[in-house]
Amino acid sequence: MKISLLFFLAPALIFAGILYYFVLWNFYIALTNYSILHLRPQFVGLATFASLFSDPDFVSSLERTLLWVVILVAAGNLMAILIASAIYNIDSPRIRNITTAFFIYPLAVSLVASGIIWRWLFDVDRGIDAMLGAKILWLQGPNAFWSTALVSVWVYTGLGVLFYLAMFYNVDKSQIESAYVDGANTIDVMLRIVIPQSRQALIIATIFYTLFSIQMFDLPYTMLFLNPFTMTLVIYTYFKFATLYFATASAAAIVILALSAAIVIPYSMYGFRKWLKL
Amino acid sequence: MNARALFAYFVIIVVGAVWAMPLYAMVVGSLKSLSEVMSTSVLTPPTAIDVSSLISAAEHLAAPLLNTAIVVIPVALAATFVGAMGAYALLRLVGSLRDGLITAIAIATYLPYQVALVPLVDFVKSLGLYNTLPGLALAFFVFFVPFATLMMYIFMTALPKQVVEAAEIDGASELALFRRVVLPLTGPGFVSTAIFLTIQGWNNLFIPLVLTRGYTKHVMLTLFSFTGQTGNVYNQMYAAALIASLPPLLVFVALGRYFIRGLLALGTGGKA
Repeated sequence: MKISLLFFLAPALIFAGILYYFVLWNFYIALTNYSILHLRPQFVGLATFASLFSDPDFVSSLERTLLWVVILVAAGNLMAILIASAIYNIDSPRIRNITTAFFIYPLAVSLVASGIIWRWLFDVDRGIDAMLGAKILWLQGPNAFWSTALVSVWVYTGLGVLFYLAMFYNVDKSQIESAYVDGANTIDVMLRIVIPQSRQALIIATIFYTLFSIQMFDLPYTMLFLNPFTMTLVIYTYFKFATLYFATASAAAIVILALSAAIVIPYSMYGFRKWLKL
Repeated sequence: MNARALFAYFVIIVVGAVWAMPLYAMVVGSLKSLSEVMSTSVLTPPTAIDVSSLISAAEHLAAPLLNTAIVVIPVALAATFVGAMGAYALLRLVGSLRDGLITAIAIATYLPYQVALVPLVDFVKSLGLYNTLPGLALAFFVFFVPFATLMMYIFMTALPKQVVEAAEIDGASELALFRRVVLPLTGPGFVSTAIFLTIQGWNNLFIPLVLTRGYTKHVMLTLFSFTGQTGNVYNQMYAAALIASLPPLLVFVALGRYFIRGLLALGTGGKA
């Protein structure tokens, strides 16, 4: 390796190295009793993990986060396929581009702003309920979880639309044309030809929706703060950190790390290798 | 209009209406007077346009907006440049060393940054940078560099090999190759990466929340503080949300194709 290349590479490696160092440091803290009660941390092995998994708040936030993954992956992919299929069937490239950008706009709006907007849309006196004259009570009790999860579908679907459209445009046009000549309708063409050839988009969208669900914080925290029905793993971690239970926060972070690593490591090793033709 | 187009427009209009509802509510809500806020739903358009809540929100948000801009924009540009340098070195390397480094950087890019919470805060505190703008900038920089390296690498692999090889035969040094050939040719990729990171940094609540006290060091904190208001004065909150969202939304409207290209690159290695 040329020495001059090291000069180019060093800054990037140093900062990536700091991130890895944080992760290792976090492992160490999780094995101590570091908290407001023990500001000089002592090594306690897996005791912090044991108390973590016996905390019902942690267990329910873990279950809730996993359910969130299922909802966002299922609803996000379905909505993305529906929207991408509609955009794909527009003839004008200009209108296609504008509608694609339109469905992506929630990704450019901050989750804090989205949280504020939706909180009021779900308000009993001033929101959708008042408009419809109904009493859906979007944010009451367990409804809060489902409503917040739906908002996350609104936020992230656009990314899947983008991935599906990119794959749809790669599908061989002559195959589609001959199907139309044989008398197939649009829904047949989409379901039998275009969508089945876009499996890669399903994989990528699923990976990203899973990661976004595991990281869920800004949106539920802005909408409902520390609501027991919307407490996710990251909110739990932040809450333990803010109340100065650092070892517990680190142990919860390790659980988040393990969940995401199960997705990120295979994706980084195989997905990227394939796409970059390494 | 044929059946195909009918299906397409039907879906887009119905689903699009739901998608547009929050944006619509935010805009009309921020233009309402206090008396209308007290009597109408967020979806009811105002009878008269009242900009007073927009003005008071703008006064409230002016200093945090400036703080955010002076942290996020230079950090996004610097991280993109450092990422471009690293990506260039990776482009010039071969073999398993390069593959290993790319995998390590990709993992650092996609792992949730929230898992570094406790060490990050300890680290920034140990440097004496807790509750300062440089501390915030450093944290963003650490998280942005792997992103930028990966994105710039993806954009650089799309360059035709012959261009670099031809310059190499002419005896250009690595520095000259980077500065005169590779960097200018990846200009759009550079813009995509910088825009992507600027929007990420602008919209981030978590990092400023854990690294600063109070609500003024980052615009998302100030916006978040509006949620603590009691009563039904949603015009104030919507006005604040609109003003805080305007910079990224304007960037998105003006340069959306760059943002979209960045999202595609992160998802598919730019090959889809």
